[in-house]
Amino acid sequence: MYTGEYLQNILNGISIGSVYAIFALGYTLVFSILGIINFAHGAVFTLGAYLTYSLAVGHFGIGGLLADMQVPFRLSFPLSLLLGSLLSGVFGVLIERCAFRPLRLRGADPLLALVSSLGVALVTINVIQYLVGSEIYSFPSEVYGDIRPAFTFQRGDTTIVLRTVQLIIFAVNMTVLVLLRYLISCTRVGKALRAVAENSSTASLLGINVDRFILYTFFLSGFLGGMAGGLVGTSFGIAGPYFGVSYGLKGLAVIVLGGLGSIPGAVLGGMVIGLAEAFVPSDYSAYKEAVAFAYLFTMLLICPRGLLGRATIEKV
Amino acid sequence: MEGFLQNYGFLLVTLLQQSLLAFSLYFPLMAGQLSLASPGFYALGGYIAAIMSTAPECTPLREKLGTGIYPLEWLAAGLISGVLALVIGISALRLRGIYLALATIAFVEILRVICLNLEITGGAIGIFDIPQLFAERWSYGLIFGPLLLLTLLFVYRLENSRTGRALKAIREDELAAGAMGIHTTYYKVLAFVIGAVLAGIVGAMSAPFLNTWNARQGTFDASISYLAYVLIGGSRSMWGPLLGAVLLASLPELLRPLKDARLIINGMVLVVASIYLPQGIVGALGRLKRCVVKNTSPMGGER
Repeated sequence: MYTGEYLQNILNGISIGSVYAIFALGYTLVFSILGIINFAHGAVFTLGAYLTYSLAVGHFGIGGLLADMQVPFRLSFPLSLLLGSLLSGVFGVLIERCAFRPLRLRGADPLLALVSSLGVALVTINVIQYLVGSEIYSFPSEVYGDIRPAFTFQRGDTTIVLRTVQLIIFAVNMTVLVLLRYLISCTRVGKALRAVAENSSTASLLGINVDRFILYTFFLSGFLGGMAGGLVGTSFGIAGPYFGVSYGLKGLAVIVLGGLGSIPGAVLGGMVIGLAEAFVPSDYSAYKEAVAFAYLFTMLLICPRGLLGRATIEKV
Repeated sequence: MEGFLQNYGFLLVTLLQQSLLAFSLYFPLMAGQLSLASPGFYALGGYIAAIMSTAPECTPLREKLGTGIYPLEWLAAGLISGVLALVIGISALRLRGIYLALATIAFVEILRVICLNLEITGGAIGIFDIPQLFAERWSYGLIFGPLLLLTLLFVYRLENSRTGRALKAIREDELAAGAMGIHTTYYKVLAFVIGAVLAGIVGAMSAPFLNTWNARQGTFDASISYLAYVLIGGSRSMWGPLLGAVLLASLPELLRPLKDARLIINGMVLVVASIYLPQGIVGALGRLKRCVVKNTSPMGGER
């Protein structure tokens, strides 16, 4: 492998890995608070991608019920990504209210939360399909304004192509990670969130409104999921309403690899899986989809608590 | 009768088949193990049958056995699924709860990607023109029906046996069961393997029924459908998976007039059922029965 190719793979890997990281953070936040996996997270990803697309491009799509309907305004790409993610966050809150809260209040079997969150995912994805159809969308390059679509570095006979989208993705994700880190470690909200994650009944005894912080968590989770969807949509296009599902499953591999419920773990896991996928030789590129799951499976067999997960003490 | 079977034969056989798949998930759940591996073994069984029925290498075998090839396919699918489940089960069943579920999701996905890319499994197109066992669709009920009866009988006998009680004990409290001298790993692996063998056989029977077989047969969506059958039917009774599968699998057919809104309603049913029927339909019926009995008993009014 040439050095150029090597560098190119690392660049691609870090770029997609950082998307995996912020997407998986959405899973991990919910898991650390409720101890369950929100299977509707993949649907939020899809929603975020479509929202960002509609706001930035100005129409809802070519197929489905909303075909040829125009959005009355067009936002710049950063604004539409932000607004799309915020709306996805609101949707996350809605998911909590419909699929998780009723079960929690009844003290139901946690397995049922899997089914209900999947039910929500099924509804969401099919409503999206109903509204905008199942065509493949890609973002036209003019949404980024006057920025060049790619930078090419050439030295001797090695060429490295750095797509602007990759740079944007990386910059956005790093900003989000830093802000999230600040929110969780340095603010009162973050402190309360950590307390709820540690032990929700004790937190509630100490006067923390647990229910409200669960809502905050779902908002954050939806925000991150929607943003990941918007970014992947700009980079690779939107491959129909079901494309969030495969990212949803990959996100599971990321959080297990890093350690369930661990925030730095999700970031590390995302980077590892992004890089591992980027380094799959082109002859075997068809097996790329399986790489994340191979990691997931192996990790579970060797060390189920993941790379940065905490060992849980078994209480009898 | 003839017309009814013509129209609804496919649906009836599908209901039998889905009930069997629900049971393949029910077995590990009897020991409290959430395994989502059934679609993987189902797909594997189907591929084995499809390859044995269509591959040129197997022509001499087919000519020699005639229709006898089909039972051989079922046997091979069950056996291979069982051995694979044994290997996976021994390594994966020390994981608990959500971790086991995740490991089995990974297994299903890895298998799917492999089948999507191998030449012998027909790649993305899959295997088609699988020779039919029966001329009519509904006739497949003649193999799925008896298998379902056998499974029901097996579960009924199992639940009241030493093994069944061991599984129940592990479901209630694994640590306590271990302390009582129950070999928990053995029983957990046993339940997992039984489920896998069943899924493999059902896959092998379904390949000729569906005529084509491709990687879309074993997906994550299918895992969740089977889980929904069991949980919404009732995971604590053998009638739960049966009832859940029959109701939920016929739902898309009942909602057919709604066309595009079908899957939306299907999703809503999952949400509503998991909120309002936490013990499943069988559990809710049991509660209802207790209520009625209490109200009509002579002691009921006084207390």
